[in-house]
This record gives sequence, C-alpha cells and structure tokens, in this order.
Amino acid sequence: MKYFLRASALLLVAASTHVATSAPARAQDPAPAGAKKEDGKKDDAKVEDKWVAVVGGDIHTGTGEVLKGATILGKNGRIHAIGYDLDVPKDAKVHDVAGMRVYPGLVAISSQGLLGNAMAEFDDTIDPFSSRMVLGLAAGITTTGVGGSAVKLKRFSVDGAVVNERAYTVMSWSGRNPRTKSELREKFVEAARYIREQREWERKSKEQKDLPEPKKTGIDGGVLSVLRGETQAKFNASDRDDLLGIARLAQEFGFRPIIDGCQEGWTVADELGRAGARVVLTARDRRSKDEQQSASGGTSIENAAILHRSGCMVAVTPPTEGIDLGGLEGRDIRMLTIEAGFAVRGGLPEKAALESITIVPARMMGISHRVGSLEVGKDFDLLVTDGDLLHYSTYVQWAFVDGRMVYDKEKELYYAHIRPRPAAEKKLDAGETAESKPADESKPQGEEKDGEKKDDDAKKEGDEKKEGEKGGDGEKKEEKKDGEQQG
Amino acid sequence: MKTCTTIALAAALAAPALAGETLAIRVGRAQTVSHGVVEHAVILVEDGRIAIVGEDLPVERGIPVLDRPEWTVVPGFVNCYSRLGCDSEGGDDNSPDVKAIDELWPKSPAYKEVVKHGVTTLALYPAGNGVSGQSVAIRPLGGTVEEMVLKDGQYVKIVVRSDSPSKRRIADAFKKVEEYDDKVAKAREKFDKDKKGGSKKDEKADEKKSFDPAAQEGKSDDKKDEKKDDGFVPPQPDEKLRPWLEMRVGAKRGLVALSQASDWLHFQDALGKNEMAYDLRLVLQRESDLYYVFDKKTHELDVDGIGDKQLRCVVEPVLTVTAGTLRTRNLPHELHRSGGKVVFIPRNDSLGDHQAWRSNVGELVAAGMPADVALRAMTLEAAEVAGVADLVGSIEKGKHANLVFLTGAPFEASTKIAAVMLDGEFVHGEVNQ
Repeated sequence: MKYFLRASALLLVAASTHVATSAPARAQDPAPAGAKKEDGKKDDAKVEDKWVAVVGGDIHTGTGEVLKGATILGKNGRIHAIGYDLDVPKDAKVHDVAGMRVYPGLVAISSQGLLGNAMAEFDDTIDPFSSRMVLGLAAGITTTGVGGSAVKLKRFSVDGAVVNERAYTVMSWSGRNPRTKSELREKFVEAARYIREQREWERKSKEQKDLPEPKKTGIDGGVLSVLRGETQAKFNASDRDDLLGIARLAQEFGFRPIIDGCQEGWTVADELGRAGARVVLTARDRRSKDEQQSASGGTSIENAAILHRSGCMVAVTPPTEGIDLGGLEGRDIRMLTIEAGFAVRGGLPEKAALESITIVPARMMGISHRVGSLEVGKDFDLLVTDGDLLHYSTYVQWAFVDGRMVYDKEKELYYAHIRPRPAAEKKLDAGETAESKPADESKPQGEEKDGEKKDDDAKKEGDEKKEGEKGGDGEKKEEKKDGEQQG
Repeated sequence: MKTCTTIALAAALAAPALAGETLAIRVGRAQTVSHGVVEHAVILVEDGRIAIVGEDLPVERGIPVLDRPEWTVVPGFVNCYSRLGCDSEGGDDNSPDVKAIDELWPKSPAYKEVVKHGVTTLALYPAGNGVSGQSVAIRPLGGTVEEMVLKDGQYVKIVVRSDSPSKRRIADAFKKVEEYDDKVAKAREKFDKDKKGGSKKDEKADEKKSFDPAAQEGKSDDKKDEKKDDGFVPPQPDEKLRPWLEMRVGAKRGLVALSQASDWLHFQDALGKNEMAYDLRLVLQRESDLYYVFDKKTHELDVDGIGDKQLRCVVEPVLTVTAGTLRTRNLPHELHRSGGKVVFIPRNDSLGDHQAWRSNVGELVAAGMPADVALRAMTLEAAEVAGVADLVGSIEKGKHANLVFLTGAPFEASTKIAAVMLDGEFVHGEVNQ
C-alpha cells in the first residue's frame, strides 16, 4: 500500500512539472489518478489559471499600432499575448467583439468620488459597488489618481485596487504668494546639499570608518524623495512667470516637474520642454490675457499641441474632477475623451491625444509598467468601444479590469437604452434568458459548429449594414481621419 | 401522532394537584412556527408555560377552557434589536464588556405599549458605533429588573463600516486573542514542566482553543473533566478580551451591523482567517446595494456571500429600490432565496412602528415573500438572534406561553390582534371565558 502511494505521488510530481513547461498549450498526457481530471493544464498545488480572450476587435494598443481583427489573451489578470491565430485555452472566457475597437483603459490623473466616499487609505475604504464607479467605467476610466494615490476601478473586490500609494508630492510655487518660491528653492538647495554630503560620506566612510553621517534634520522629506527620483513633484501653476520659475527650478536641480493647469504654457513651451515638464491641462480652458503683461498670454486651444511639439508630455483632464449629473453636461470627469478631442481640435495628433488620457498620466503616477497601454505583461485593463474612442457618439461597450469584465453597457442602468447592441438582441431566442448568453460566449473558438458560424456571419453582415445606415457621412469621415493618422 | 399527543395530554392531566393556574385554549388554527400549522388546536397552558399543543385534544373536566374557533394563534413576536426605554449614548471604541442590562429601566411606559402590539420579548443592545457591548433579552413587563430579564450577556453588537477604524478594531481584537493564546500556551508549557516530565504531553490541549467557556460557566462536559484531571488553570483574560474569546468558540455571538455591500467585503477582509460566531444586522436604506453580496456566484465575489454562509440577518421590513431607479426590490425575500435566514425588526424603534410592524411585514408578503418565512422571521429566528430560542419564539411544549391571538391570517390587512398572552397571562384584549 505504501509503495503504491509513493508511486502515485511520483506520478503527480512528474505530471505537474510537465504541466509547468507546457503552458499555455495543453498537456497531452491524461492526468494521473487522483489529480483533477477536468483539465491537464493546471497544477494541482496552484490555483486554477484564469484565462480571458477578447477576440476579433481592432486593437489600438496605445503605443501607435492598430491590429485589425486581432485577439488579446489574458491570464490571471495580465495580458498574456496579443496577435493573430493565438492558441486560446479551452477554458478561457471568450468575448467576440468583431467590428468593435479595443483600447487600453483610460487613466484619469485626478478624480473624486469614483471609489465611493473614500478619500484616503483606499484598501480599507474603497466601495467596489459604488454606482459612481460604474459611471467611471462607462466613461472608460479604469485607473484614477485620487488623493495622491493611483487606484484602479476594481468592482466586486476590495483586494489589490491600489497601484501606487504615493504617486506624487504636491508643491507650491506661486507668484501670488512669493514667499513660497524662495522657501521651496531653499528646501531644494538644502536637500541637494544633503545628497551631495551623503554621497561623499558613503565614498569616504569606506576608508575612514568613524566619519559621522551627515545630519538629516531640517531636510524636507518630500523634496528629498523627489530629488532621489522616488516620487514626483506636482505643481499647480498657470501663469507664465510661475511656469518659467518652475522650469528653471527643475533644470537647476535636475527633476521633471508635473505641472497642473499650465494655461499659459504655450507661451513658454520651449522652456518647459527643455525642463522636461509633464503637463496636465484642460484643453478647453478659457482665460483672457493679463493686459499689463507685454508678452503673449491667456489661454489657447493650441496649448496641448504646442506643448507636445516642444517635447512636453501632455495629459488632459476635464474641467471638473467629480461626477456631476446635474447642471452643465459635458464638463465632469466622464468627459476625458471629449477633452482629448478638444486637444485634437487644437492640433494635437490623435495618437498623442489617446496617450494623453492613457499612458502619459500613467507615467506621471509611476504606474506605466502596469497600465496605460496594451502590451504583453501589463494588466488586462481594456475597453471595447463601438467606434473611435475620441468621437463624442462612441460608447464603451465593455470594460475589463485585471482580466475581469467589470462593465457591460447592456447590463448596467445608465446607457443600456442608447443604441442597444443589435447582436445582443438577436442572440436571444424565444425562451432564452439573458443569463444563458455568457455560456454561449464562453464556448471555445475552435469548437464552433458550422451552423453557428454561418449564423454569426449573417449577424455580422447585419451589423455592418446597420452601422452603415446609422453612421452616414460622419462615420466615413472619421475613418478617413484615422487612416491619415496611421499613415 | 394525534393519538400520541392525546395520550400524553391525558397523562399530564392525570397528575394530581396541579400547581399554579391551568388553562386550555381552543382555537381555529395555531401557527406554531416550529412544528407547522395545527388546525383546531388545543393549547394547554400551565404555570405560564406551554404544556402541550395538539389538534382537537380532549380536555379533562375541571380545567377552564377558552373556546375561540375564530382565532388564529401565533407565537409572541420577538424584537431582537431594540433600545426601547434606554437612553444612554455610546462611543465608537472597542467595549464588548459593556452591558445593556445596566441601563434597563423597568418603569419605562414604552414596554406596556409594545405588548399591546404582540411584542412579548425584546432584546436591548448598548448604544455605540464601535463594538458597543452585550445585549440583554427581556420580557417587557415586570416591576423590577429581575422580573424582566430572560437572559443577560447575549449578542455583542459590532458596527462595521468601510473605513480603517472599524477594520482595525476587529484586527486588533484578534491580535489580542492571539497574544492571549500565546500566554496560555506558555503557561501550559510551564505547568507541564513543573508537573515533571512524567506526564505525557497533552497534544489535545494544545490544539484545543485555549479558552473554554463551558468550564467558566460550570457546565459539565467531557472537556472540563479532562481539564480538571490535569489541574491546569489558564490565565484569566481581561474583561474586554473575554467576549471575543467567547465569540471565537461560539459561546457568544456577534451581531455585526453593515449598511452597504462594500462593508461586507471589508468585514471579511478584516476577519481574515479568524473565526467567530455572528449574525448580521443589515441596515436597508432606500437604495441599498446589499444584494451584490448575497451570493458569490452572481457577481463572482472573492469571498462567500451572505446567503452562501446561511447567515441570520436582522432587517427592517421595507421594500427598497435599485439604486438610481424606481424599480422596487424585495431584499429580504432575495436574501431568503439566496440562503440567508431573515429576521425582522420594526422599521424604527418607535411605538408607532411596533404597531405597524405586522402590517409592514405584510407588505413584503404581498410582494412575494412566503408568509411562513415572514412569521418565523418575527418570532423563532429573532429569538435565535436574541439568544432565547430555547425559551420563546414558537408554540412548543416547555416554552413560555407567549401567544398572540389574531382574528385571521397573520399578514392579512384586515386581521387584528384580539388578545396577547405573556407567560400564561392575558395582558391585552378582552377575554371573557
């Protein structure tokens, strides 16, 4: 009996090692007795791998490429592969999005209220059932900066939503309060001196053991960590003089500031570009020039474009940070894409406009290794839309965060009634319920029966026709624009 | 079955010299809650307790009989979550040692009022927004505290919100429990050493939870005997820690108050791998989103849902709406269908809401909730939460004769309360025998 047990244990070990090397392809040999039979792929000791595939959409990776009709495969919340003819595992949840576009989830550099009433300590306070989170996802936002932290809009779970707890340190530099300038500069001088002394001490202390370590008292912690590259300095400034001052400070001490507001940035774009400034702006801001100032000033719709041309990273954000369902429509945080559209109106290339609401804010918050574009190894955070993301009539159809579908336009209250997906209506036969649909979707790609395929094709044709009817001229123009940009 | 009870009744009645008052009540139907519905029921009340219940039982000559074939009788209602007659204010700290019995004021006129509406048992809890303390189960009549109290030191009320302080309270409490475990283990080691190496190491004792409330209360069971043989006395936990130890082994239950779906996830997160016995108090606001956490499957939660765990949930009988819409939802019914055990309390702790309690529950029954589940939620299930299910909550032999006599089915709008009996005495209603 003992021998038998040992033998089977060996078998198990052998099987699991084999499994580890052959993923994601399925292991060929049948699982030994005692191991889980349903699937040879998974390791007994490990938790089952979760696969998800979004198939057939035009994938805009956010890095400039567009893969038409491609597949994006996710494993355990991360992107596992992007491309054509991928080997989709049998137990993957497959979402057929043919005819739709796939974009990286949007990153709002700053928002309020999307995570419930939480303002700090998000691991303990996030409300993953908040209706505002649903509205945020409907607007395409999957990650947001809030109170200095970068947090994901992760529904149904309170686990692992915080991506970066301390994304930036806020600093003050304002011509309206000149003392802040000299004080801040003093802090930088002190911190830089401390770093020099510290380096010197490290070098010398190898020889002279009893050399005292330089004192850290009176050194500003925030400034120090900015100079060490541990966190980012964020300023709130819009006046030309302030912007110049910040640019000079940054060049002097060798850090790249984040400048929020930056309304007159276009007048000093070269200086900001040389300082490597990262800019958060609202493209549609309007402000008149200070008439006592002889240099050019005020706002310009071309602000984003000019700053981009001069080498600044540009992120855009709508006029208000919260979700505002009353009053003037179109100004709240749900209008990220519209704001990027305003920037395009001012001459910003569309690629840069998409980046201004995805990878650029992700870089500013130090989370671009996880979110902001669709690349293998990054988080499976993506949107499926029914048209160009920056077009005002486009709706997010599905949103995924960490490989999980967290938003389905048809199933949530807010926009389900606007242009319902024709496919969803057709798929339901008499007697079928909405619940039986996902099971249908999750069928592996390869196993489609002929009959079903035909059915699908017919549907696609139908969809295209409908789109043609609906889109008319606007749709065509948009496509043309897209083509130009890719060229 | 019927003959069995008949014989039993005959035997009971044959006993000579019945102490106290005896009364037989014959009604059209009795909804016992614990043993289903008995038509043409006869209930024999003896000494304030129910001696027997059965269908059409013969009653011995000489015993007074109350004959009301038009009545339906149900168990007295139990409000397991009340602060009637209490007026202190609580903080939001960890004070599980506070007891509601200390603020019980028997002269409060409120108690006499609620009895008229069929409420024959109340559980009072201490006020506060943290871990506020232990409840007390009372009968709402009596001149002194002693007369009123059924059982003291019942559920520990714990409020959990989606914030750091409430999560920390729970995590800290269990950290202290762990520290206490270590202390006990060390004491044990020392004890074993002192006893010299002769005695074999008792692995069982190490495994066993270090705190055994049975031993504290002096109940006799095997474990205690084992301990006695050993002679080992674990160090005494302090008063703030003891309730947590008791909750861990199930000797006490927590009543965890949650007001939104995320609270459940954060509570589970704070609890982690620690275990404790608890029921839930779900605050149903108008746009409550608690349905998200009823079962794990629907929304693919990381943790089990409330229904999956078959928890008892204290809720007010209200219809809610899906957030952002006017679509009504019957959350108590949804909870019941997902596997949770529903317990009803009045909508508010006011006298008016005690009066409207039955008709408010009736609204949910009209909206689809099974009437027997609703009745159970007002009686036996509530008694479970209050910790007095062995005494009240159903029409069952041996339990207190707390009965509500109705003129029809309990949740019909036209039904009125004809009489209320508390511990064998009619305390409300005109009853001419």
